[in-house]
This record gives sequence, C-alpha cells and structure tokens, in this order.
Amino acid sequence: MTRRRWSSLGRLVSLVLLVLWSLFPVYWALKTSLSTNAAAQQAPVQMLPSHPSITSYQALFGAGPEAADAAGGIGQALVNIVVETVGATVLTLAIAVLAAYAFARLRFRLKNLVFYTVIGTLTLPVYATLIPLYRIMSDLHLVNSYIGIIFVYTSGFLPLAMWIMYNVFLALPLGIEEAARIDGAGALQTFARIVLPTARPGIAATAIVTFLFGWGQFIFPLVLSSSSATQPLTVLLAAIDSRNVPYPIINAAAVVAVAIPAVIVFFLNRWIVTGITAGSVK
Amino acid sequence: MSSRPDAGAPGQATAISGGTLAGRAGRHPSRPSGTPVRWRDRRFRRRSGDGPLAYFMIAPLVVFIGALAIYPTVLTVVEAFFHLDPLTPPDHFVGFGNFTDAFSNPQVVTAMENTGWYALFGVVLTVGLGTAIALLLQRPFFGRGVVLAVVVLPWALPGVVEGVIWSWIYNPTAGVLNSVLKSLHLIGQYQLFVGAHRIESIFLIALVQVWQITPLAALVVLAALQSVPDELYESASVDGASGLRVVRSITLPLVRPALAIATVEALVMSLNIFDQVYVLNANATTASSIMTTTYFITFQDLNFGQGYALSLTATVVTVLLSIVIIKVLYRKVEY
Repeated sequence: MTRRRWSSLGRLVSLVLLVLWSLFPVYWALKTSLSTNAAAQQAPVQMLPSHPSITSYQALFGAGPEAADAAGGIGQALVNIVVETVGATVLTLAIAVLAAYAFARLRFRLKNLVFYTVIGTLTLPVYATLIPLYRIMSDLHLVNSYIGIIFVYTSGFLPLAMWIMYNVFLALPLGIEEAARIDGAGALQTFARIVLPTARPGIAATAIVTFLFGWGQFIFPLVLSSSSATQPLTVLLAAIDSRNVPYPIINAAAVVAVAIPAVIVFFLNRWIVTGITAGSVK
Repeated sequence: MSSRPDAGAPGQATAISGGTLAGRAGRHPSRPSGTPVRWRDRRFRRRSGDGPLAYFMIAPLVVFIGALAIYPTVLTVVEAFFHLDPLTPPDHFVGFGNFTDAFSNPQVVTAMENTGWYALFGVVLTVGLGTAIALLLQRPFFGRGVVLAVVVLPWALPGVVEGVIWSWIYNPTAGVLNSVLKSLHLIGQYQLFVGAHRIESIFLIALVQVWQITPLAALVVLAALQSVPDELYESASVDGASGLRVVRSITLPLVRPALAIATVEALVMSLNIFDQVYVLNANATTASSIMTTTYFITFQDLNFGQGYALSLTATVVTVLLSIVIIKVLYRKVEY
C-alpha cells in the first residue's frame, strides 16, 4: 500500500515535470517579451515579469523608438507565411483528396505502381531534392515568388496528405456510395455529394497537420524565398536573431511565430492527434 | 518522415509509417472481395468508365510528385557525378571526384562526426522519453486531454523558433539555465554552454530538437499501447506478473512496430537536423551538422559538386538505415 502511494506520487511528479518541460520554454519567451531589456538581463532571473509591458511588440510592428532596427518587415513576413502556408494547404488538400479517392475506390491500370511510388517519396530526406529544386526554380524564375514556394511545399506535403486521406476514404462505409451509384449518380457526383461531406473530419485533420508543416518550414524558404517580399516569418526570425536586437524584441517575434500553432494545438488538438497517428500505427 | 519540405518535425511526420503501412494498399482491393452479388460484377464492367476519371483525379498528384520530387531526386543522383561550377564552366563528368573532394574536406569530416553524435543523442533521448511519456499517459486520468495538448505543443512549433527560444535559455550572460544552475550551486559562475565544447554543444542543440520531436514518438507509441487488448494485462495480473515483468513481456513486444517507427523517425530527423543548428551554431564548425555544412558549401561557397555529393551520400545513408532498422525492429504483431 505504501508502495502504491509512492507510485502515484511518482506519477504526479512525472506529470508536473512533463508539463513544465513542454511549456516552460514557451512561457520563458513570453515572459521575456513582456519585460524591459534591463529586467530581461537581470541576474538571477525573475520567474515572473515585474512590470509587464507590450513595448517590445509595438517596436516589432514599427512603433516606438527601437522600431527601425528591430521591425525589419515583420508585418510583411507574417503576410508571407500566411499566404504561403494557406496556399500550400489548399493546393495540397485539393490534389490529395482527389487522388486518394481514386486510389481508395476506383480501378485503373498502374494503380499500385503510382501509389507506391508516391508513398515512397516520403522516405526521401531534404537532401535529395534541395539543390535541384533551387536550380529548377531558378530556371523557371520562380525563386522569391509565392507560386514557387507554394509548389515546392505542395510537392513535399502531398504524399503524407494523400496517405492520410487514403486511409480516411478506406474507412468510410461503402454502402452509401453504392446506394448513390445505384440511384444513378456518376462516380464524380457520388464523390462530390456523398463522399466529401462524409469525409469532412478526415479532411480537417489533414488540413490542420498540413498547415502546421507549412508554418514550420525553414530551409526551403531560406533557399527559395529569402527576399523581404516573400520570406516567411521563420526566415525573418532567424535573421532578427542574428542581428543585434534587444532580447525582449527577439522573444516577442518568437511569440508571434508561436501564437498560431499554439492556438491550433490547444483548440484543435484532437484533429492533430488523429492526423499524426493516422497511418503510423494501426 | 522527413518529407522534403520538411518541417522540423511535422514534415517528417510519417514517412516510414507511410512506407511500411503502404503494404495495406495491396491487400485492399478497391472493393471487398468475396462479395458474391452478381450485379456488382456488372457494375464493374459498366464502370470501366472509371479509367479516364481515375487518371484525371490522380493527374495533378502525378505531375507534382514527378516534377518536384522524383525528377529532382534523379538530378541529385546524376549531377553528384558532374563538375558543376557556375564560376568555372563547362560542366563535365568527374566520376567520384565530388565525393573524394567532399570527404577530404575537414569541414565535412567534422560535420559527419557531429551528425553521428546528433543521431545518437536524438534517437536515444527521443525514443526513451517518448516511450516514458506514452507509458505515463497510457491510462486515463483527470485532465489527460489537457496534458496531451500540452505535450503536443512543441511538435507543432517551427524548429527555427524553438532554436531562438532555447538560445535565449542557454544565453551565456543572462540565460535562465545559467541562473538556475547557479542558484542551485551546480556551477560557480555563468558559462558559455553552446559553442565552447563540442560534445556539450551538440548535446544541448540536440536537446532542442528532442524537445520538438519527442511528442511524435510519444503519440506513436501511445497509439500502439492503447491498441493492446486489456485481456492480456488482466490475464498477466491473474498469473501474478509484476509490473516490470508485464512491461517487458507484454507491452514492449507488442509496441515493437511503433518503437521501430519512432526510432526511424527520430533517426531520420536527427540526421537531417538543420533549423536548430542554423540558429544555435550558425556556420561554426563546433556543432555543425551534415545538413548545415551542405547548405553552407552549396549556397554560400557555391560549390554545387560537393553539395550534391554530400546530399546523395546522406540520402542513401538515410534510406538504408531506415530500411535496416525497420527490418530489425518491425515485426507484425498478432494478439
């Protein structure tokens, strides 16, 4: 019995440590971003901001005395990351959903060959395509363009999105589709009217996971869209970090980049877990 | 895993999972077989019209994957054997010349050793912590959903941002790590953690990536744990098996496939480590990785030949290691 009490105490301590481990770095960035530069550099550190203020955020978005140095176009970088991430998510989903349905339900020649080839590209590391993609995009004059980076993201996200959607479609009951077909609906009509609405939860999970991938991209935009007109927030953040910008402002920029994924995690967590584990172990 | 445009973690989410499980595709005919209803066969015949429709539906996928994944990979394989220098044309075949150049470059040799350390720390910590977290979260408790959301958070954040956040934590003059260690009297004075000693720097940078990718390992193992039938545990406890014994004889063997997937994912991601190193190590050799070295050689020194040779080597090693691990660890589980 004492042993049992010890083990439940151990569990509790482990859970607290786990939560601290997961949250502390983000908390620390938030705390620093709300401190003055002097307070941020105090030794020993204070765990809570003594006089929280949002001046760092104002400076970051171009207001206040430190603005000129720090801002460096974060507004534009935010627009860029949203355009590129949303663009790639929409394009990936549209293409993946169509193809996944064909693989799950239709019969055609070369089906397995194409399917395995597409899934096989999942095992390719970044190295395999980075340099050639840069050369291809240069030749097409698509370096530093939204279209170029959206296309590259899409090619990378497609196999996983297709794989998740393929499993979603396989898991749908065949009955309704057949009923629709018997009632005279064509394959395309069945797909649009019956299948897509039923598969909505799966589509949402795939979209959320794809969006998070897009938001986190770094090396591809670093190589393919590093001009200030197209660089996403991640690339700008790395640049800000290497400049001599006050710590609270760097951390404010980090918090801005963290905000959207964090909101997604806390409100749409269920979909993410579905998306991640779909296909991994079943 | 590391799907190409790879998010530190996310992109790399499930390559292998994909690969290994793709096996299902073959076993799943588009309709359940053995349904003897007659009209169904006729429908199929009528549905030979699905052919053109199916090609129309997969065409965009084929174009994207063909043009922006397979064609570039082929280019890497071919061009690694060519002299390609915009500064000293013309391009010509050089056999293994780029490879001998790359491997005799001391920067590259250091980066390879460093990446070995990244892989070691990355795999051991990620799989170990991930499994521990999965075991901790296996049974329901009050607030489990919230804890799960909290655990997933680092996975969803961009690797670069995590690098920036942690570099502030590791800061030599005002970092919280220094402050805490000093108050605990574990260090006498503030230290330069990243950049002074090689292995220490690598460990601390690897830790940032571990922070990011552990949730993935935890979720994969957790999903496997939850698919283990309760009866197995019940009969074990009836037979009087101790907790540790249950973990060793029931839990571990049954989650082997999940462990294999988590291991391969961690391995591939740590062999590809870039964002965290780029932020915390910049272009120093101290803790350089193959990926950062390839990046600087290619896009800063414009030495495409060496860049290609490194890329091809890394690709081959990554794919081979993944296959070996899967072969060794992955076995089909039957309950």
